Amino acid sequence: MLDAAKMTLEVETRPAPNGVTIVAPVGRLDVAGAPALKEAISQLTGNGPPKVVLDMEGVSFVDSTGLGSVIAALKQIRGSQGELRLAAPNQQARVVLELTTLDRVFPYYATVEEALTGF
Amino acid sequence: MRSNHETFEFRARFSDLHEGLDILHDSIERLREATGRAQEDRSLMLFETALGEIGGNVLTHGRPPGTERPIEYVLSLEGRTLVASLTDSGTSVHEHLSREMPGHDHEAGRGLAMARALLDELGYERHGDINRWRLVKRL
Repeated sequence: MLDAAKMTLEVETRPAPNGVTIVAPVGRLDVAGAPALKEAISQLTGNGPPKVVLDMEGVSFVDSTGLGSVIAALKQIRGSQGELRLAAPNQQARVVLELTTLDRVFPYYATVEEALTGF
Repeated sequence: MRSNHETFEFRARFSDLHEGLDILHDSIERLREATGRAQEDRSLMLFETALGEIGGNVLTHGRPPGTERPIEYVLSLEGRTLVASLTDSGTSVHEHLSREMPGHDHEAGRGLAMARALLDELGYERHGDINRWRLVKRL
């Protein structure tokens, strides 16, 4: 029997110092999970340009649709003069970023703490 | 040294997106366990990434409204050659096969280009109203 809990991407959002919001998806960021990330990003509110760290530590797998949801997030956040930083992608996510050369658009940080430094 | 005579086979039929994706990833985990490969096995990770792309396409486009036929999936390892086949009832995708990697600002359209780059072979054939995909990687 398949575990229903692993079928969807869960996204936790939490505040960090200096007005930064940490968005932390858990699960597979794929064609089934991407809408949950888009929904979480669309609900970000606050004063001034958004500063967002996308904590990828809980993401086990990324596909091109999941990557598309990150691009959409980047567009939305930059459209509000904000900034998005990626943190802690696993080996598979790094391969996808490098294969698509999107690592040039999303410079990633090894940890959330590193991403928060100087943000 | 790893044996060159490993064999493994997994078969499934599915129709639902979430269930199908779970089955595809689960099949790779079963293969990993059956062959004693490490979680960080790079070749298997690259194959799983390509499988997620083609499988995701098949599950989202391969079952037009009214289709009763499920997606048919076979994963097999013979020696060091890993092959996945997926059969769906979607429309022909010949015109999409050579699609190049789009620019950085595009949110979609990378799947086939990624799969081609990750695999040793990506086969596609149209038989009547059926699409047959064949993904090959030598581990």
